[in-house]
Amino acid sequence: MAQTQSRPATDGVRLALLNNRFEGIARKMANTLLRTGRSGVLNIARDFSCAIVTRGDELLAAAESLPIHVLSGPDLMCRAMKEFHPTLRRGDAFLHNSPYHGCSHAADHTILVPVIDADGVHHYTVVAKAHQADCGNSQPTTYMGSARNVYEEGALIFPAVKVQDNYKNVDDIIRMCRMRIRVPDQWWGDFLAMVGAARIAERELFALADELGWNALHDYDTQYLDYSEQRMAAAIRRAAPATTTVTHSSTHDAFPGTPADGVTITAKVTVLPDDAVIEVDLRDNPDCLPCGLNLSESCARTSAMVGIFNSIDHSVPKNAGAFRRLRILLREGCIVGIPLHPTSCSVATTNIADRVANSVQAAMAELADGIGLAECGAVIPPAAGVISGIDPKSRKPFVNQVFLGFSGGAGAPSTDAWQTIAHVGNAGLCFQDSVELDEIRQPIYVHERRFLKDTEGAGRHRGAHSIFVSFGPVGCDIDIGYVSDGGERPARRAWRRNRRAGQPVPAAPRWQHRAAGRLRAGAAGRRRAHPVLFLRRRLWPAC
Amino acid sequence: MRFSVDTGGTFTDLIVEGDDGALRMFKAATNPANPILGVIEALKVAADGYGLPLADLLARGEMFIYGTTHAINAIITGNTARTAFLTSQGHPDILVLREGGRVEPFNFQAPFPDPYVPRALTFEIPGRLMVDGSERTPFDDDAAIAVIDEMKARGVAAVAVCLIWSIVNADHEKRMAALLDEHMPGVPYTLSHVLNPTLREYRRASSTCIDASLKPMMQAYMRDLTHTLAEAGFGGRVLVVTSQGGVMDAAEVANSPIHLINSGPSMAPVSGRYFSNIDEDCDTAIIADTGGTTYDVSLVRRNRIPWTRETWIGQPYRGHMTGFPSVDVKSIGAGGGSIAWVDEGGMLHVGPKSAGAVPGPVCYGQGGELPTVTDASLALGYIDPAFFLGGTKTLDLAAARAAIETKLAKPLGLSIEEAAAAVIRIATENMVQAIIDITVNQGIDPRDTVLVGGGGAAGLNSVLIARRLESRRLLIPEVGAALSAAGAMMSDLTSTFHKTLFTRTSGFDFAGVNGALTELRTRCDDFVARYGTGVDSHTIRFSAEARYPEQVWEIEIPLPVERFASAAELRALEDVFHKAHDDIFAISDPGSPIEIVGWTASVACRLRGDQGGSLALSDPGKMDAAVRMAYFPGHGSLTTAVHRFEAMKPGEQVAGPAIIESSFTTVVVNPGAVAERRPSGSLSIDPGRD
Repeated sequence: MAQTQSRPATDGVRLALLNNRFEGIARKMANTLLRTGRSGVLNIARDFSCAIVTRGDELLAAAESLPIHVLSGPDLMCRAMKEFHPTLRRGDAFLHNSPYHGCSHAADHTILVPVIDADGVHHYTVVAKAHQADCGNSQPTTYMGSARNVYEEGALIFPAVKVQDNYKNVDDIIRMCRMRIRVPDQWWGDFLAMVGAARIAERELFALADELGWNALHDYDTQYLDYSEQRMAAAIRRAAPATTTVTHSSTHDAFPGTPADGVTITAKVTVLPDDAVIEVDLRDNPDCLPCGLNLSESCARTSAMVGIFNSIDHSVPKNAGAFRRLRILLREGCIVGIPLHPTSCSVATTNIADRVANSVQAAMAELADGIGLAECGAVIPPAAGVISGIDPKSRKPFVNQVFLGFSGGAGAPSTDAWQTIAHVGNAGLCFQDSVELDEIRQPIYVHERRFLKDTEGAGRHRGAHSIFVSFGPVGCDIDIGYVSDGGERPARRAWRRNRRAGQPVPAAPRWQHRAAGRLRAGAAGRRRAHPVLFLRRRLWPAC
Repeated sequence: MRFSVDTGGTFTDLIVEGDDGALRMFKAATNPANPILGVIEALKVAADGYGLPLADLLARGEMFIYGTTHAINAIITGNTARTAFLTSQGHPDILVLREGGRVEPFNFQAPFPDPYVPRALTFEIPGRLMVDGSERTPFDDDAAIAVIDEMKARGVAAVAVCLIWSIVNADHEKRMAALLDEHMPGVPYTLSHVLNPTLREYRRASSTCIDASLKPMMQAYMRDLTHTLAEAGFGGRVLVVTSQGGVMDAAEVANSPIHLINSGPSMAPVSGRYFSNIDEDCDTAIIADTGGTTYDVSLVRRNRIPWTRETWIGQPYRGHMTGFPSVDVKSIGAGGGSIAWVDEGGMLHVGPKSAGAVPGPVCYGQGGELPTVTDASLALGYIDPAFFLGGTKTLDLAAARAAIETKLAKPLGLSIEEAAAAVIRIATENMVQAIIDITVNQGIDPRDTVLVGGGGAAGLNSVLIARRLESRRLLIPEVGAALSAAGAMMSDLTSTFHKTLFTRTSGFDFAGVNGALTELRTRCDDFVARYGTGVDSHTIRFSAEARYPEQVWEIEIPLPVERFASAAELRALEDVFHKAHDDIFAISDPGSPIEIVGWTASVACRLRGDQGGSLALSDPGKMDAAVRMAYFPGHGSLTTAVHRFEAMKPGEQVAGPAIIESSFTTVVVNPGAVAERRPSGSLSIDPGRD
């Protein structure tokens, strides 16, 4: 296509060099965080992200992270940090987990470190965010699906609160966290890991500036974001030949606090190849509900973006430059919009966010052949729930999210599903637990886990198989927290005219509570859905 | 006299150590259909070099050390035995699920990997053990025999047995073995608790399946090797290089062939350690081996070579993790064959696609149309078109320049030389990032290290890599083009024993741990008694895999004592851990207890008493020209002195700009750098600055 013809860019060599350097720094942060974090959700589910944001609060570079974590959020959080702290100083670090100020949800503790030179000038902000094993909710889970508002969640909310001053901890804040968060040592370990990652990035950026000068770095910021915008524009023009609008809906199962027939999320997706813009309108959706399913602004924007980036040329850089070609239309007080305090957004990163991303990518699949993606499976089954109890040997409490089994991948235009996608917002980055590791970490026994035959659906490309997991406690009771979706309405295939672009995943999680005390977390398949969903079950030992 | 051979994809490298301790290097083409013939060819080249008939040369040999890619090639090409996987009832998908994980979250074009053994050949065995070794469900002989009958009907040629918690109670795996012996005699099998007694069932199952699948062919291959060498006149000991950077007797390794997965590359750090010690008196080094398509990075830290269980066959998360201890080598798609291209946004990229051997770089004139790193080096004047690989190949400079001009220089708005220099710069940056990735994971600061460049193409940009890393020194050993074979010559006879025993330093299981350590010691002593005949000396090192509570990744730490008797000794262990954690990750939590999940003893028998064997300085070849024009960014085209590597005297210095060439390699000494020949033959380069 003539419009996408390449033309000599500003400086293709310097662009390549610095791109490599910035990505290297983000990766170094991520490697540090991954290998030093304490909680399973961080280092098993890889539920963390690391990013570098410009002085103008634009996302510049991110390490490979959970998609739902990083596309939009770092920008909003940096803006909030500057608003609340007009004078930033070298050595500052801020703790941020407020969904009303740019964070995804309260469980995602974020460390923001402004990178400030010797003259006190702010050049970048580095962001390390990690899902915590516990964030001080009123129940021992980070997914408070049934909380009617933030007070019922109970988590401490930190809207960009200073936790380091001149590179020293603000111990008052640390003590507050230690008093409120279950397993405080685990939280402390993750806090150290996040601060460590952010400080490593700060150090690297200073070194890079010493080598090349801050001005050269900021020239690069501009060039790289322009370059990314140009790549995005070209990808959009290739995606669809003419302006087209498709509307796709996806319904979340009923849940305490929702209408009896569930929550239907609708995405209106318009591709405008002439302007090289994709617009996603999420305004025609229900108002916020008195439960934890509402999206934060960060998750609303990001989930729409996930659906788009899953659908187009995957090599387009995901940063503020590319985002200039997206119009995400949100409404205040909408379940997939901008929530107002004290609306609860406790499970903003998964359930409804997945329905948004799935709707967008399925709409994209309807737009043209060769793009888009079928719907991915839903979360959070008990097999990936947060378990807690008292260890019968040590008599000490434990809280941990387990990742015993999930599938959920969607058929794609050119391949069968990636089996272990977890859910669309995770994109399969999550590790699956070793049975032995889980049995050594906490008093549980995993009876069975297997893929189920003939659950992938037919079509040009298959969805993932459903997976079945059966486990229970050993010598004690355990509580398990989860927010299951997809039992009534499993993921749907994507269609393009009369051709199937990808097949659905009936990998919707379901559970059955058995008298023997094992929880069977399986898939709905095509059978009739189980009518009730619980937030929390107590399990007794099977033997 | 001793021989060491490394069979690579293109060349079979041979190093011969004469009775005077002098080393000589030879190369022959690899014979992919019959690698053992390639070995014999290389030995014939050496026999010619020494002016002896082959049988006479071999008759003088005491030891033949072999590094081979045969095992890994068999896996990559799918030529392993038809293997069955026996797993615990209820857990048939261990190899499908692997440990989850994915790269490139937005890329939905990469397919989900097939399991190493398909579901159709996976059989569930009733019986389940618990974390404390107690039996929840008993083993079922009848069900197991029914599975054996089914395996026989399906023509299974090798069996892998990996049952949950066999590492704390091996009874069920042992019972399965007894039934296999009885009902399926002659079919090789591998038991997970014997091969790789480590926590995490996927890693153990994966290594068990890989091992079993290699047994039939590698047993035959080792017999063939030993037999062929004996027929040709060799009467000494045949040893094989292992993934762990040691050597084992050929007959022994045939019984656990998974040791051979990284045979070859594992030796590069052994070489690197040797040269960084004798040339630079430095105990920490980064070893970078540049091939045609891959760039392999490994480390030496305080004279120890870090190992990992997270070795992948194929790409991470898209292939199979071996789960078996191996020298930690990070490999990226970067080398002389890497293709340079400009994307639609105008950004220059180098790799990861490679022109490979076919069609190869444009300058090979074999149909390649896309410019590569080799083409760029040629266009810059670094490589002599008439003297490539000692003059065995003539390169087409005009074609390389034309390709760079149309594909790179024009879209970038640069001259041909500037574009070629940019290709080298980006390739350098890619390699630097690979080094940073592995060093950050090991907590090594590149500024405190020596960079050792191996592989034929190492010299082209290693000065630039060393500058970026701020390395103290760049070292190009004279045997750099055969770094692995040279390493094999210096390696030890090793074995490693492992015991899983979980404990915390708060509530330490003194009796259990001391029992485990005693058992490990006994196994090491048995190994020395059995295989250590004629060795110079031996050392046994104990280590633990430890972590902070709730962490899921362990790090390996040396044990301060061989037996724990007091709280003070326990504190010493904690201190070692805090220090190691701080070294690697820049943080530690000194108030915290630690968890230990496994205990390891490694025994190393020194095969070579005198570490400091010198390298025979080979004859300098003829010099074609003393100068040529080469382009350096920031300087333009400079008249550049060309030196013969072999002709340089120990202590002789060459200041950049200069090019130092041998038949095996070309070393570019950029302006500002100074190279000096060491007594060992190595080039030691102060990278300097522009």
